[in-house]
Amino acid sequence: MSSYPQEASWINLLSSTLGFTPGTQEWVFAAIGLVFIYCVIILPSAAMMSFLDRKLSADFQARVGPNRAGPAGVFQPLADLVKLLQKEAASTDWNWREALWLGVHTMALYSTVAVIPLGSMALLVDTDMSVFLPFWAALVLALGTMLLGFSQASVPGWFGGIRIAAQVLAGAFPSLVAVLCAGIHSGDYRWSAFVGAQAAFPLRWTAFSDPFQFIAFVVFVAGGLVMLAVPPMDAAVSLRDLHGGVSSHLFGRRLSLYRLGRFYGFFLWSVMATVIFLGAWTLPFGLGGVLRTREELWLLQLLETLWLLGKTFLLMLAITSLARVHPRGRIDQVTDFSWKVLSPFSLFALIGSALWTGWGLLR
Amino acid sequence: MLERLRTDLTYWEIGPYHGALPGPMRLKLRIDGEIIVSGELETGFLHRGLEKAMELHPWPATITYADHLDPEAAVFGELALCLAVEEISGLEAPPRAQAIRVLLSELTRISAHLGYIARVGRATGAETLIHYVLRDRERILDLFELLTGARYSLNFVRFGGVAADVTEGFIERVLEVSELMRVRLKEYNDLFTFNHAFLLRAAGMGVIEMGLAFRHGLTGPNARAAGISFDVRKAHPYLGFEALDFEVPLGHGEAGRQGDAHDRFLLRLREIPQSLEILKHVAENVPSGEYACMKIEREFEVPRGEGYGRVESSRGLLACHVVSDSGRFPARIQFRVPTTATLALLPEVIAGLPIADLPVLLASLDLSLAEADR
Repeated sequence: MSSYPQEASWINLLSSTLGFTPGTQEWVFAAIGLVFIYCVIILPSAAMMSFLDRKLSADFQARVGPNRAGPAGVFQPLADLVKLLQKEAASTDWNWREALWLGVHTMALYSTVAVIPLGSMALLVDTDMSVFLPFWAALVLALGTMLLGFSQASVPGWFGGIRIAAQVLAGAFPSLVAVLCAGIHSGDYRWSAFVGAQAAFPLRWTAFSDPFQFIAFVVFVAGGLVMLAVPPMDAAVSLRDLHGGVSSHLFGRRLSLYRLGRFYGFFLWSVMATVIFLGAWTLPFGLGGVLRTREELWLLQLLETLWLLGKTFLLMLAITSLARVHPRGRIDQVTDFSWKVLSPFSLFALIGSALWTGWGLLR
Repeated sequence: MLERLRTDLTYWEIGPYHGALPGPMRLKLRIDGEIIVSGELETGFLHRGLEKAMELHPWPATITYADHLDPEAAVFGELALCLAVEEISGLEAPPRAQAIRVLLSELTRISAHLGYIARVGRATGAETLIHYVLRDRERILDLFELLTGARYSLNFVRFGGVAADVTEGFIERVLEVSELMRVRLKEYNDLFTFNHAFLLRAAGMGVIEMGLAFRHGLTGPNARAAGISFDVRKAHPYLGFEALDFEVPLGHGEAGRQGDAHDRFLLRLREIPQSLEILKHVAENVPSGEYACMKIEREFEVPRGEGYGRVESSRGLLACHVVSDSGRFPARIQFRVPTTATLALLPEVIAGLPIADLPVLLASLDLSLAEADR
C-alpha cells in the first residue's frame, strides 16, 4: 500500500489541502481516495458515457435520443437513476442469496478502484502486480455473477450465470497474455513503468511501437469485450437471447448497482487499455514537465486525468459505435472467438514481441 | 479419447409472454445442456373468436373483423373476404378499384417485409438496422394514412370495390416512396445481409427442407425459400396479377443451405423489388372510372352459396371460405392462414438447435399469432 512515490503523491496534496496532520494513518487517506475516485470520477463518467452513447447511437440510427430531462436530455442518466432507486420490490420475499452474491460481485468489482491508474500522482497502489489485480477481480466477479444467477432459481439466471462465467474465462486468457506482451515492452508491470515506456506522440505509444504490440492491443480490447460481455459480445446478458440473463430478476436499487458495476468494468478495462497501450496520461508538448517544474501539481494532476479520461472515452465510444452496427454473436461463437482466434493471436504476439525486444537489446 | 459429458434432460417452458417470442405462445422444450431435444407448442392465447363474431354481424361489418386477422397486414384479410363474397354475389370490382387494391396489397407486402427485417435485426442484436427499417416503413404507413385515414387497421376494401377513390397526390407519393425504397434496400444489404456475424447466426440454421414444407402445406416466402415455386399471384391470379410482369424469387442457399434462416431473410429482401416493380407499373397506369361497382348499404344481402377467395399475403396463402344462406348475416366464414402450417412444422425445425438460436429462428419464420389464433 505504501509504494506510491511519497514526494509527489496526490495523497500528500490531499493531506495538505484537507489539513490532516502528518501522522495520520495511510488507510484513512486510501479510504478517502477510494470514495473520492468513485464519486468524482466513476459516477460522473457513467452518467456522461450513458448520455453520449445514447445520443450518438440515436444519431446513427436516425432518431432523436433522450431529449426530455434537462436541456437536450442531459439529465436523463440522473432521471433513470432516481427512477430505479424509487422502485419497490416486486416481491416481499427477501432473497438473501441474491443479495449475498450481488454483494460479493460488487465488492470484487470495486476492489479494483484501489489500483485504477488516473494520473502520475493518482496511483494508490503501484506495485509490480497492480496490473494483474483486475484479472483476479474479474475471476471473483465471474464466480459472484454465476452464483448470483444460480441464486435466482430461474432459467435466465442459470444460463446467464453459466454463460458469464464461460465468457470471463474465455476472455481472461488472451487479455492476460496481451498484458504480458506490453510488459515485455515496458520492462516491468508497474503502472508507472507502462507510462514511462511511452510518450505523448502516438507513434511512441506501446500499441504502435511494433506490430506485435498492436496485435496485443487489439487482443486486449477484444478480450475485454468478451470478458465483460460488452456488446456485440453480450450474448450472456442480452435481453433477446436470455431475457437479460442475470439482470432479469434484479430491480430497483439492485439493478442500478448491477448496471453501474457493468459500466465500471467496461470503464476500468478501457482505462487499462489506454494506460498500457495508448500513451496513458502523458501530456503533449512537454506540458507535464513544465507544470511539474513550476510545482503546479493540482493543475498537473487535473490535466493528466482529463487527458486520460478523454482518450478512454474515445476508445469506449469507438467500441460502442461498432457494437451499434454489428449483430450480436451467439454465446458459443463468442467463446470460440476468444479461445480459437484471440488466444493464438495473443501467443503469437507474445513470442513476436519477445523476439523483437530481444533483437533490439542484442543490437 | 474424451468421454462425452453426460447431462440430464431438462424441461423448460417459455411463454406465453416472453421477449423472444413472436406473440403469446408457449414452448415446452426438452433440453440437453443447451441443445433442444424436442419441443411442443401451445397456442390459442390470442383467440378472439373472429370467425364466430363475423357470423353475428351484418355482411358489411365483417370486413372490419377480417381486417383484424393480422394487424400487421390488414388488407389481405379484407381482400380474401371480399373476393369470396364477390364470387357468391357476382359483384365485379371496376378496373380502377382493382388497381387501388393492388397498390394497397403490394404496399402492405413491403411494409410487412420491412417489419420482418426489423424483427430479425432485433433478434440478432443489429439495432441500427431496426431503426433504419422502421423509419422507412413509416413512409408506407404515411401512404396508408393518406389513402385510408388509418395506418394499420385500414378497413378500406369493400364488396365490389374500395371505400373511396385515391386522394390527391397519393399516386405521385407511391412512386416517390418506391424510388426511395430502392435506394434503402441497397443500404440494408450493405449493412446487414452478408454481414459476417449475421451469417454466423442465420446461415445453415433452422433449415426447412422442401419435403417438410410440402408435408405441412407451407406456403409463402418460407416455402419459396425452401425451393417451392408457389405464389398465389401466379398460380391463381386475382386482381389482374396475370397481366403484370414480375418474378417470384426462390431460395438457393447462397450462404448456407436452401431453406435456412438466411435464405428466408434474403428471399423477403428480394421480394421487395418485385413489389416495387408492380407498384410502379400499376401506379403509372391507374385506369379512370368508378372505384366501386355499387354502394354497399347496411342491409346488403349475399345470395345463398359458397365462395372461396385466396390471396398471396406477406406470409403465404391466405384464403377465406364463405358460406351464405341468403341473409343479412353470414352463415359461416373460415380463414386458411399461412402461419398455421409454419407453427405445425416448428417442433420439427427446433429439434437439435441450441437454445441461443431460438429467438433468431422464431423471428426468421415470420409467425403471426394473431392470424393463427384469430
